[in-house]
Amino acid sequence: MPLVEVINVSKEYANGEETIRPLDEVSLNVNEGDYVSLMGASGSGKSTLLNLIAGIDQATSGEIVVADTDITKLARGKLADWRAAHIGYVFQTHNLIPVLTAYENVEMPLLLLPMSASERRKRVEIAMEAVDLTSRASHYPRQMSGGQEQRVGIARAIVSNPTVVVADEPTGSLDDKTTEQILSLLSRINEELGMTLLMVTHDSEAGQRAKRQIRLERGRLMENGKETTSAHLRTA
Amino acid sequence: MLGQKLLPWDYGVRNLFRRPSRSALTLGGLTIVVLLVLVVVGFIRGLEKSLAATGNPNVVLVYALSSGADIENSSIPGRTPALLSASVDGVRRGHGVEYVSPELYLGTRITTAGMTEPGMGLVRGVTTTAPLVRGQVQIVEGTWPQRGEVMVGRLAHSKLSASKEDLAVGQQVTFDGQTWTISGLFNAAGSAFESEIWAPLEELQTVLKRQDLSMVAVSMDSLDGAADVELFCRERIDLELKAVAESSYYAAMQKHYKPVRMLGWVVVALVAGSGIFAGLNTMYGAVVGRVRELATLQAIGFRRRAILLTLVQEATLLACAGAIVACVVGLLLVDGTAVRFTMGAFMLSVDSVGIAVACEVAALLGVVGALPPAIKAMRLPVVEAIKSI
Repeated sequence: MPLVEVINVSKEYANGEETIRPLDEVSLNVNEGDYVSLMGASGSGKSTLLNLIAGIDQATSGEIVVADTDITKLARGKLADWRAAHIGYVFQTHNLIPVLTAYENVEMPLLLLPMSASERRKRVEIAMEAVDLTSRASHYPRQMSGGQEQRVGIARAIVSNPTVVVADEPTGSLDDKTTEQILSLLSRINEELGMTLLMVTHDSEAGQRAKRQIRLERGRLMENGKETTSAHLRTA
Repeated sequence: MLGQKLLPWDYGVRNLFRRPSRSALTLGGLTIVVLLVLVVVGFIRGLEKSLAATGNPNVVLVYALSSGADIENSSIPGRTPALLSASVDGVRRGHGVEYVSPELYLGTRITTAGMTEPGMGLVRGVTTTAPLVRGQVQIVEGTWPQRGEVMVGRLAHSKLSASKEDLAVGQQVTFDGQTWTISGLFNAAGSAFESEIWAPLEELQTVLKRQDLSMVAVSMDSLDGAADVELFCRERIDLELKAVAESSYYAAMQKHYKPVRMLGWVVVALVAGSGIFAGLNTMYGAVVGRVRELATLQAIGFRRRAILLTLVQEATLLACAGAIVACVVGLLLVDGTAVRFTMGAFMLSVDSVGIAVACEVAALLGVVGALPPAIKAMRLPVVEAIKSI
């Protein structure tokens, strides 16, 4: 049973009188432990698909089932609770909370989950150690480099041990050296912690680091040169 | 559990220090708004207290039927006190003295040593029975006035627009062609008497060439005593007298000032309304700069309600800080400030009611000022907001 099932999902936007359809009945399966890169040209819909799977956007039609929950049927409040329990989001621009320290930023998702303060502290320390930023725990985002900020962002995404970690252009605002560090860190998270990872990138080199590469072309998903239709997924 | 899903308290508090100059300006604006509210409520409360403190339900005022509600225009025969004592049972008595105070009351032009132009003041000619009937009057400095002397209330300077020093014990005041030396100062528990100047009745009558009185204040043994005095006034048609319980007299005065008080509350509402608009403007500014951050919190899993609450918390904290500063400033600078009005003077009163109203207005400023911008920010789709600069 796949961990993530995207079944015939379409997404339409109204742009004035024009209707834009970045996703046209796309289907995709992601298994537990997968590391999938979503690539494509600008505006191809890769970030849209990622946001739909992350539950921060609503599909026009189709189903998205993550860990046996059809998230397209969840109300806004329930969807927020679901995100807290199942999704770790790595943003392109880090999106750390400026008034909170690195430690507090990482702790934020855990405040939404039922756990004791000591359990929270333990989990934050493990996550900070995983991204090698224990020494920066008390620093504020403005006191850190872009790479360090992104590592804190990754720690925040993995700290709650989510079902899926989604990363939207996680290296988009970083230099080459830092990009390499972040990509290595994401690979490690997938291999050593066994976390399922979905990464959107426009950088084919970065995409190659994933176990599976999927391209979005004209609203369709292509893997290994073939479209990933729902029929294909059922027979696969 | 709701408690587990709220954003940390610290997050809201720290956001206030994120842009210190903006927070300081907002705090200043909120403080001014709450202080204005305190001043207006202090005015209303001071006026109410002054009129309420003046009326004693056991005291009955007897004055001329023809004078309407204005005792200044009243003229009754000089023998009225003696007739009252002889005819009415239930007049309070102590140490062989009946609590009957004949009084001559007038508004007149008064000059002090430091004044170039005379000011309008209130003079009451009294005998030694006056403090027995007006129990709230207490001499706080000096002595009871003898011949050629007067005693002044602690707010008389305000009524005259004179300095406090001009009406200190030993200073002189001039009215109706005679110079009087101030022998004492009195207070009267915030009542209207505090804005008056008290002179010996007989001497004042001589100076004014009058033998009549303005009124007689009678202290009765019981609350029912007013009825006996009223009966006396009805029976003695020849004297053309009217009797009113002092508390009823000042209650009527309170009604007279009702439009002023209503206007005061309208001003409170207007000031609070303008404060809300100022707060809205500030909060819109604060929220617009944090759209991406608020969207990030939603993406992490915080519900809109939790984020909304933290924004309201921030604004309310700032408004409450403004209320505290305003209350401290109000207690230090506003409370006790004398204000003139037609019946004399009263002091602005920053009391528990004023502070409660100020705190309510502050809370309103915080909540109402924060909600619209917060709701607007929450309505933005997360995917759009997350990319905003």
